[in-house]
Order: sequence, then C-alpha cells, then structure tokens
Amino acid sequence: MSALSLLLSLAFLALAFLAPGALANLFGLGALAVATFVRLSPQGRTLNLALLTLAFTLGLMRSGNTLGLIGLVGILVALTTLPRIPTWVRALLGLAILLLSVPLAGFANTFVFELGIQIGIYAAMALGLNVVVGMAGLLDLGYAAFFAVGAYTWAIFGSEQAKNFMQGNFPLPGEYMYLFMGIAIVTTALTGLLIGLPALRLRGDYLAIVTLGLGEVVRILANNLDHPVNFTNGPQGITPVQRPPIDWFRELMAAIGVRLDQTTDYQLFFYFLVLVMIGLVVLVNLNLANSRFGRAWVAIREDEIAARSMGIPLLPTKLLAFMTGAAFSGVMGVIFAAQRTFVSPESFTLLASITILGMVILGGMGSIPGAILGAAALTILNLDILKTFSEFVRTSLPQIPSQVDPAKYERLVFGLILVLMMIFRPEGLIPEKRHRAEMEEGA
Amino acid sequence: MKALEVTHATKRFGGLVAVNDVSLTVNQGEIFSVIGPNGAGKTTFFNLLTGIYAPDEGRILLFGKDITGFPPDRVAKEGVGRTFQNIRLFGAMTVLENLLVGMHIHIRVPYFHAVFRTPLARREEKRAEEEAKRLLEYVGLLHRKDELAKNLPYGEQRKLEIARALALKPRLLLLDEPAAGMNPKETEELQAFIQKLREELGVTIVLIEHDMRLVMRISHRIAVLEYGSKIAEGTPEEVRTNPRVIEAYLGKGAAGGGA
Repeated sequence: MSALSLLLSLAFLALAFLAPGALANLFGLGALAVATFVRLSPQGRTLNLALLTLAFTLGLMRSGNTLGLIGLVGILVALTTLPRIPTWVRALLGLAILLLSVPLAGFANTFVFELGIQIGIYAAMALGLNVVVGMAGLLDLGYAAFFAVGAYTWAIFGSEQAKNFMQGNFPLPGEYMYLFMGIAIVTTALTGLLIGLPALRLRGDYLAIVTLGLGEVVRILANNLDHPVNFTNGPQGITPVQRPPIDWFRELMAAIGVRLDQTTDYQLFFYFLVLVMIGLVVLVNLNLANSRFGRAWVAIREDEIAARSMGIPLLPTKLLAFMTGAAFSGVMGVIFAAQRTFVSPESFTLLASITILGMVILGGMGSIPGAILGAAALTILNLDILKTFSEFVRTSLPQIPSQVDPAKYERLVFGLILVLMMIFRPEGLIPEKRHRAEMEEGA
Repeated sequence: MKALEVTHATKRFGGLVAVNDVSLTVNQGEIFSVIGPNGAGKTTFFNLLTGIYAPDEGRILLFGKDITGFPPDRVAKEGVGRTFQNIRLFGAMTVLENLLVGMHIHIRVPYFHAVFRTPLARREEKRAEEEAKRLLEYVGLLHRKDELAKNLPYGEQRKLEIARALALKPRLLLLDEPAAGMNPKETEELQAFIQKLREELGVTIVLIEHDMRLVMRISHRIAVLEYGSKIAEGTPEEVRTNPRVIEAYLGKGAAGGGA
C-alpha cells in the first residue's frame, strides 16, 4: 500500500511537470487523500508529503491553477494532525509551504496571494471567535461588527475622511497603521464591552439573537453615519486608505534575491504580515487556553453553577472572552482596510458573521488547527471554487440561464456543507479533544 | 468562634416556603449535619448559604462577616467550598484541570501576563499545578490526573468533587450528600476521609446526608429540617431521641409507640 501511495505521488509530480493544470491538481488531491489515509512509516509519510508539496508547488508555478492551493492547505492539515511524523519534519515542511511554496505560486498567479491573505485574515478572526464560541461557549452572531470597528478605526484616520470632523493633517502616514493595530485592540475591546454588557446577561439562543441585532446596529451605523457629520462616508465607503510604506521590505527582499514588481510587492508584504499575525494569534490562543482564564471559560461553558461555586464571576469572565475575541477581529480589520485600501459597510454583513462562525464550526469548535482549516476551506470555496465553477458553466454550457449561476448559490452550498457536517461529523473536521468528549457525552 | 451563623433565613418559591425561618450556628472546627426527609429544604438551605439563591429574609454570617445576598463567586472567595448532590464536575476537563479550576481564585496571574505567558505566569501556573498534584495525592487520585473527569468511576468522581472544593482552600466545606450511592465499605472510607479533612486541614464541615449511620457517627451536632423548618438541633444522641424527629421520619404514632 505504501509503495502504491508513493507511486501515486511520483506520478503526480510528473504530471505537475508535464501537464500542469486543473486535472493534474485533482489527481494530486487524490494522491494526497491516499497518502493521508494509508498507514505509512514515518519516513514514508515524510517522503510522501514532501513529494506532494513539491508537486503542488510546481503545478502552481507552472499553471497558476488554484486547486493546488487546496492541496497545500491539505498538506498543512496533514502535517498538524497526522501521527508519527517527526516534529522537525512538520516544522520544516510547514514553513517551506508557507514561506516558499505559496509566494512562488503567488508570483505565477497573484490571485494566490489574494486568497492567502483572505484566508489568513479570516483564519485569525475564526481563532478570535474560537475563544468566544469554542472556549467560553457564547454564541456570537454579530462578530463581524468588531471587524468593522477595527477596519473603520484605521480607514477613517488613514484617509482624508477624518478631515470631515477634526483638524489635522489627514490622511495619517501609512506607518501609523502599526500604531492603529494597537488602537484597534482598544476600540474593539471597548465595543465588545459595550455590546457584551447587556448581551452577556443572556444565555444561549437569546444571546445569539441579541448579538445578531447589535452586530447589525454597528453595520447600519457605518452605513448612516455620513450625516449630520460625515464619519464613515456611508454606503460609498472610504477610499483610498493608506498602506504602510514598504521600502524596507523591498530592500530586504532584494537582498535575498527576490525582485518584486508593482503588483506583487504589497501582496507579498501583506501575506507575510498576515502570517505573522496568525502566528501571534495562535500563540495568544494557546497561552490563554492554558491559563486560569481559558480554564474559567471552559468551566463556565460546562457548568455555570459549578464554575461560580469555584469563585469564577460570571459576567466579568464572559466579558473578558468577548473582548478578547473582539480584539483579534479588530486587529485584522485594520490589516483588511489597509490591504484593500477600501472599506465599506458591505463587508460586515450578517453573512460575514455567519461565515466566520461557520469556519469555527466546520473546523471543530475549540480547535486551533480546525479554525484555520475552516477558514481556508470556506474562503477557497467562496472566492475560488464557486467562481471557477460558474465560469466553467458559463463558457462551456452557455444555454444554462444565468439565474442558476453557481456563484449565486454560495449560501446554498455553504448551508449544504454545514448540514452534511452536522449529520456526519458534528464535532468538526479537526475536533478538539474536549469537545469530542462533550459530543460523546451528549450522544 | 462561630464559623456560620444563620438567623431567620427564609426562602419562598411562589407559594412554597422552601426554607422557613431557619436559624442555626456552626462552631469552627465542627462537623455539622443537616438532615431531614426528602423535600425538607436541605439543598435549598445550602443554596442560600452559597449564594445561588438570596434569602427573602434573614441573615447569613460567615466567621462574623455578613454574606447575605453575596453571589456564589463572592461566597467562594470568602472561603466556602461545596459539592453538589448530583455531581457537577467539569466532565470534559481532566482531573488535574478540575482542580486547577478549583484553585482559580488562588492563581494570581493578571490577564496580560496570561496572554503573553510571561515568566510570572509560567511560575504561577507551575506552582498551581504542583499544588494541585499534591492535593490529588492527598485524596489518592494522582494516578488519574490526566483522565477526563467524566471517565472516572462514581466513587472517585465524588472524591474529586471534594478535592475540587478543597482546592479553594475553604474555611467552610459544604458537602451535599457525599455518601449518596455508596456501599457500606465506601461510606466507611468516606467517614474516615471527612474526619481526616477536619483534623488535618482544620476546615469546618457542614453536610447534608441521608445515611443515618454515617451522620450519627461523624457529627458533632445535627440540625433537622422538615417542610423547610428546623424542628430539632443538638448532639446525635439528643436528635436520635427527639420525639419530633422520630415523628418526622417514621410518621405520627411512631414517636409515642417507640419511646
């Protein structure tokens, strides 16, 4: 079996070299599936995954077909979850994929960068929501509100918008973005406090509905705060938002021999920035999970009365979870605003909140690799697979009316996935051990 | 020193008076039992002491401090640990984590230290873990420390719940039917264990219990509740021979006939 799996990977490598494209990548995904499910020795598994990484990277560089990115994400998941792989292999291959494969693919097809950045931003937010929903068990359906507050925090001051209501030299220069990432932590945490104080007195479904409502309030405020004083520029949104200057980054890249052009320099920069942020967010997530705060959140989720009898105050502890999650989202909002140079209320709808929640549930509540995988899966589905598929339908089957354009059925597909998940794997793709225990308990 | 002074505590649920004008005092270092037939209001009385309900009338003093109306987390911070009639462990957490939750108020790590896992946070966590392990060893559950609490056998779950309450370093320990579901041998072990806690940790213990053999052997004093009211209080001997108690337990007529 292991020989067959290796052979498949080798065949894929040849295919990626000779005939790169969608078909080769589909073959590769198959080979990856085989490599994952077949029992292999540690060496065999390492060799196999390394071969696949090489093949997917090659395929991406030569064809730019984004299915290859799914393959790379799959390998990352395999590296984090499969047993019997030496730690240094996990680290080395993982870093190679993140720091080499994806950028190389991005130079061939800048859409890979766009996807990577979006996945990263959503993954960081999913990790933030993971604290709120996964650890503390507070169902928050208005999470995009914090993303919005973070994005507007920078957008208003990083553009000419602030001139409408205060004196000063606006837009602030791009390097202030870093400062505003810190400020956004404060503004979003305060928003979390403001929304949480009334909402967190409720439980379960009631909390979900109230957060949904308050989340919408934030979006509607953004939509309407263009008069009497123009704070947010209403539905038109704010543009252009400043980006930080990256001359140092260009020089750094030039020093290691990478030539950047106008289209890829910022993409690569934001890609790396988002990677760093995910690293930080994962670290903070882990730190909190293993602290008295993380334990208090889980305790409250499991049994409020018992938790209170241990001296854990209910509202402050819940508020802390809520504010922590909000702060994660806020920082990513700043990056989102700068990366797009454009912010409008449309990005912060209820659907955005539900999508992020879907990522957490899909990946497995409370699970860190799960949240990242969920973010990758849903982002790729929304931005890539469905769009490619509708393009395919439009060009090859023009007689099909545009009403049944697959891209319009994003929510249907999304809903379908969640329903199937709830039936076949309710604990998520990569469940956390604790939640798995709870699921078993319920069954 | 009085560990607990309850004066005229009353709790009503609509028309039902669950606890009716109950006054009692528990001395420091005592093992005090609250008994009574099913539905007598014993658990409600406990819930008043721990702040899960606020009394409609009356006062509760803990070591001289008025804690009437305190929410449960503040009562816990005042040094009251408790167990529950139907075990309420954090089932999906490990045995060790359960104890660490119990130590929550004693782990002094400010939030930002926890976020960045500073040396201070590491040190405190390590100290807490060592202490939790010591406590697990004390109650004989150290070998189970990494198991999920819900996978423990019933008797050990009961023990773990007491250990979790002890992790709080309580001055007053409330045990709600600790011997429920135990066989005579386990009950005997429990008796020795409770007495050991009192002697070695100096903690005052109040317990609700149905197992009369245990109650009579272990208690310094006993209060008897019926329909929410206290009908008797005294040493085991006094309570055993009290006609009203016999009547409450065995029905009218039994008191006269039995005496």
